Amino acid sequence: MAWVFAAPALLVYVVFLVYPALSSLWFSFTDWDGLSATYNVVGLQNYKDMPHDPVVVQAAINNLIWAVVTVVVPVVLGLTLAVVLNGKVRGKPFLRLIFYTPAVLPLVSVASIWGWLYNPQYGAINAFLRAVGLDSLAQPWLGQDSTALGATMVAAIWLRVGFPMLLYLAALQGISPDLYEAATVDGAGKWQQFWHITMPGLRPAHYVVIALSVIDSFKVFDLIYAMTYGGPGTATQVMGTWMYFNVFQYNQAGYGTAIAVVITLVAVVVSVPYVRSQTKEHAV
Amino acid sequence: MINRRKFLGLSGGAAIAAGLAACTGTSSDSGSTTSTGSKELRLFTYEDNSTIDLLKEQVKKFDTQNGTTTTVDSLPGSGAAVYPDKLRTELLGGKGPDVWRIWGGQIGAPFVKAKQAMDLSTYYQKYGWDSKINPAAVEGMTFDGVKGGMPFIALGIGGWYSKAAFAKAGVTAPPKTYAELEEANAKLLKSGITPLGTGGKYGWHVMRLFEYLLETSAGPDLHDKLLTGDESWDRPEVVTAFTNFKKWQDQKWIPDGAVGLDPAEVELWYVQGKSAYTITGPWTEAQGIQAGGKKSEDFGVFEFPTDHDPLRHSGFVEGYMINAKTGNPDMAAALLDFLNQPETHKALKITASVVAGAEPDQATLPLSYEWAQGPAKKPFYTIQDQAFPKKEADQYFAIQSDVLQGKTSPADAAKKMQDVIKAMKK
Repeated sequence: MAWVFAAPALLVYVVFLVYPALSSLWFSFTDWDGLSATYNVVGLQNYKDMPHDPVVVQAAINNLIWAVVTVVVPVVLGLTLAVVLNGKVRGKPFLRLIFYTPAVLPLVSVASIWGWLYNPQYGAINAFLRAVGLDSLAQPWLGQDSTALGATMVAAIWLRVGFPMLLYLAALQGISPDLYEAATVDGAGKWQQFWHITMPGLRPAHYVVIALSVIDSFKVFDLIYAMTYGGPGTATQVMGTWMYFNVFQYNQAGYGTAIAVVITLVAVVVSVPYVRSQTKEHAV
Repeated sequence: MINRRKFLGLSGGAAIAAGLAACTGTSSDSGSTTSTGSKELRLFTYEDNSTIDLLKEQVKKFDTQNGTTTTVDSLPGSGAAVYPDKLRTELLGGKGPDVWRIWGGQIGAPFVKAKQAMDLSTYYQKYGWDSKINPAAVEGMTFDGVKGGMPFIALGIGGWYSKAAFAKAGVTAPPKTYAELEEANAKLLKSGITPLGTGGKYGWHVMRLFEYLLETSAGPDLHDKLLTGDESWDRPEVVTAFTNFKKWQDQKWIPDGAVGLDPAEVELWYVQGKSAYTITGPWTEAQGIQAGGKKSEDFGVFEFPTDHDPLRHSGFVEGYMINAKTGNPDMAAALLDFLNQPETHKALKITASVVAGAEPDQATLPLSYEWAQGPAKKPFYTIQDQAFPKKEADQYFAIQSDVLQGKTSPADAAKKMQDVIKAMKK
């Protein structure tokens, strides 16, 4: 009887997730060009080619840098903002709105906004630097390999701070004020209270925030695509964009889906601790 | 060799297969039609807001004459970097358009090679397109001998400039030699304006400058042989082109950080007074100058001097293809023939028609008319992002990007480009 109730959802799940995923896995073992009706099976060749593709190596490194920076910085900033905004601050609702707004903006809009800010000749960032006499620091931010990835990461951090802030704010509401009062009476300073009351109280939130941020970081595509198109040259290619270029632009759908399979595997491995923690929590 | 249909048949029921087609972009390759009825067509294009209504008006006229219902969908402003992807996704989803507009060369080629586009030889005979359409344009829509598309426009690229910017800098006439162009650049820069407005995001626009410099240093014959891989790129002429390319960046004759700028934005700088000129085609008169509320008389157009005879500029062909799976190929071909009539071209305000008798109107588009009367009649070489498959074109641009950033020397760039061509020819 349980199967009958589960069947509709299971059918949707199989048709729209499991089957496409399995067929993508299948195509990763072929040389399909993405347009033709026929293809050849090439076994593991696409996977063997990956380590010899310099752009895959570069994209993997960029993904790693992206993951570390765009997880650590927004989480730390989000936590800081949450703690500050959870205290007695004037204009609290307004400030929360301000910090969370970037998170609800369409990514293409975010890319356009930052593209204008970074414009080397007419952008606000270089204009500011020149206005304060720091002309030498004015850069073609998106137009040179040395700064392009960093510049896109700044936009990503701006975009993503609101999400951890909101989750941490919600979690902070669950910590009893009595604990802080008792700690104050016992002579504990603010720093001690933070480490011994706030941080342990936020442990469940840490799992959610960090796991979702890490998964999100490995899926990065749209911001890079819209801001730099993977360039200059291939300097800001990440696995997601390189997969897209191969599948949709280079007529190498077989190779592109092999890259997609690798991205999926990495995301699955990374999400295991999160899933396990959630399972344990519910089992209790 | 496996076909997707066999794969689908082996792997599950019809419902699951339908789901797969929707999700992975695969579809069974027979029996699928894109029209729900013999009188219904769908046309997919990339016309922008300034021209889409004109096209819809003409298509409506065709529908009235033929009792058809044609839906026109457009993806404006996307350019060759995005539009083909959308088209490909639609085709793989099993509901592609009956007719679509597309660029020639290596952008249109994959659709013909994959047999998604119909061989139009029969319709070339039926409508006499061979005799009505500019042969060079037909060549641009012929892929490995297959006439996979009907040319619609053939566009040449030139220098479109602000007369005010030239006058302010003391440049009294457009340059006639490469040396004069460099002199003009120096004067323009001194007057406080960036000479050439170009942007390298997506690669293709700044490539317009490099291909011009290559034509200048290599000359027409060698340039053509380089593009076909019949001559090595590891040679002095190519090194000179890369050296000059870097010089344009170092001298600030192109915008600071040009590699990262969006061409859609930068191309219009010459209209907005932020640059003196740009490299573009005649569409800029209607879509750039006039759409920006400016008068054509305040701008001019010139051919980039190459110091070679013939003086060639780069250009490209755009045309229409018919879906190999359309439910009504005859009606789709009739629509194409209708769209290529001189009177239709005039109604569409086409500035670079491939058919005689559809020249731009001198009164409303004087600069396009001027271009059509002279430079447009000269031979052109294929713009380089259409001369190479997309992957190689991107590698080519990556090399150009490295040269501009000083990461690769011009001599090494020539060697690297030869490696790209060598790998491609394998």
